Amino acid sequence: MLEIRDLRTSYGKIAALKGVALDIKDGGLTCLLGPNGAGKTTLIWTLAAILKAQSGSIRMDGEELIGAKPHQIVSKGIVTVPENRLVFPEMSVTDNLFAGAFSRRADKIAVAQDLEEVLQRFPRLRERANQDAGTLSGGEQQMLAVARALMARPKILLLDEPSTGLAPIIVEEIFEIIGALRDEGRTIFLVEQNANMALEYADDFYLLEQGLVTFGGKPGDVDHDELIQRAYLGTRKAS
Amino acid sequence: MVDFIQNTLDGIALGSAYALLALGFTLIFGVMGRLNIAYGPCIMIGVFAGAGVYSDLTQSIVMIFVATLAGTILASAYVERVSFAAIRADAALASMVSTFAVWMQLEEIVAHLFPARTYAFKELGHLSLIEAGPFFLRQESLFMLLVTLAVLLGLALVLGRSHFGLELRALTDSRRAAIISGINVRRIIFLTFLLAAMIGGVAGFMIAMSDGQVTPKFGLWATMKGLVAMVIGGLASLRGAVLGGMLLGIIEAQAQWYFGASVREILVYAILFAALILLPRGILGGPHTVWRS
Repeated sequence: MLEIRDLRTSYGKIAALKGVALDIKDGGLTCLLGPNGAGKTTLIWTLAAILKAQSGSIRMDGEELIGAKPHQIVSKGIVTVPENRLVFPEMSVTDNLFAGAFSRRADKIAVAQDLEEVLQRFPRLRERANQDAGTLSGGEQQMLAVARALMARPKILLLDEPSTGLAPIIVEEIFEIIGALRDEGRTIFLVEQNANMALEYADDFYLLEQGLVTFGGKPGDVDHDELIQRAYLGTRKAS
Repeated sequence: MVDFIQNTLDGIALGSAYALLALGFTLIFGVMGRLNIAYGPCIMIGVFAGAGVYSDLTQSIVMIFVATLAGTILASAYVERVSFAAIRADAALASMVSTFAVWMQLEEIVAHLFPARTYAFKELGHLSLIEAGPFFLRQESLFMLLVTLAVLLGLALVLGRSHFGLELRALTDSRRAAIISGINVRRIIFLTFLLAAMIGGVAGFMIAMSDGQVTPKFGLWATMKGLVAMVIGGLASLRGAVLGGMLLGIIEAQAQWYFGASVREILVYAILFAALILLPRGILGGPHTVWRS
């Protein structure tokens, strides 16, 4: 369980997160919706400790994570699949996957086992195991980014806009993978603009608008159309 | 034609030293996206440490080598702490200016400790030539080539097989992806500085041995040669660094033979200008090598 309370992050003088509070429950898919510029990616980067929080708290099972370094966050099991994939373009697919296991280098046998498991889950990556990651298609790179994160044996998987820039048919494929991960009982925090798709798979959702969580609940709780509209456009235009 | 081939042979030997210097620059540039101008002066500290041991303590070639390596590593660790670790990642210019300041400091330290400026270094000795038909290879050239090959082989093993090597390559490829994947970036940067220092120390040692002396100008010389070779070969490409070093050595040797020593440097820098204009990313610099996030 990840508890986020009163989290504030800013870029210089511009506040991006203005006191965000939400829970990511174990063994479920929590989804964060919101229009462009609401602060969704800022929240992910703050959770990953790449951006420094100004104040507030991020607790995993009671342990405070604010102040930890990015590599320590990964070691604790909070692993990010960043927006726009961010693979290592000039390294082979296999090396990209090994790179995901940096935090557990000592455990060579387990890493090798996990590599086999991940390649079984993503047969397309096995086909391209020796290819440079930069030569993969967008969808394949997204799969690689997810696979790389799995190599870290995450307790919580943070997915930042996995559908960005992908063709609709590929988006469906990616969401099927996310759904399968959820069904295995993994804890997933999904940040998505594609609200329709995300709500199909979410157990809980929050709506982030202008740096604040304005709404939260279960997908069935609310009027679907209004939520979608607010997720894409924000409150002002919806009202 | 015989002259041309002979010059090429000589150039490759000289170029192998340049290649090592370029590799040091490239490794550091790769993980940091910043230039360490003080790389040459760090090696100068090393060769003066070696010269000091040679003149005051012992003739032992092993001890002189150890002193050269240790001096280079210590100076590099100092540069990394002061000019890179202590300065924010997004302040590249501040880092570069800081390395200039460290450079001046290192030169002053040497000037105080070694007031005579030029000091003898253990010489390899001008031994017999190895001849093959009309061509010959000096033994010191062969020595440089073999040492360079050994370093390249070792480096390939470290980068290709070790965990540190994978982390270094990952950080060079994409800093953001490396952070996301849980790499301890600061640790890898520090280790990369040490690796570059070891390569520089070996290069400095073999250059000083073949010259038989060291001067405080060594720092400037090493930085210039390494930088030029790196830019010709390709920024952030290790193969490019080796190629650039070899090319620079060959061009210098040809220029020296056909036009004389005074024209050599002018020609070399003209070639650098041409390389910067025609191939701003160097010969082997790929599309990713200039892009940094």
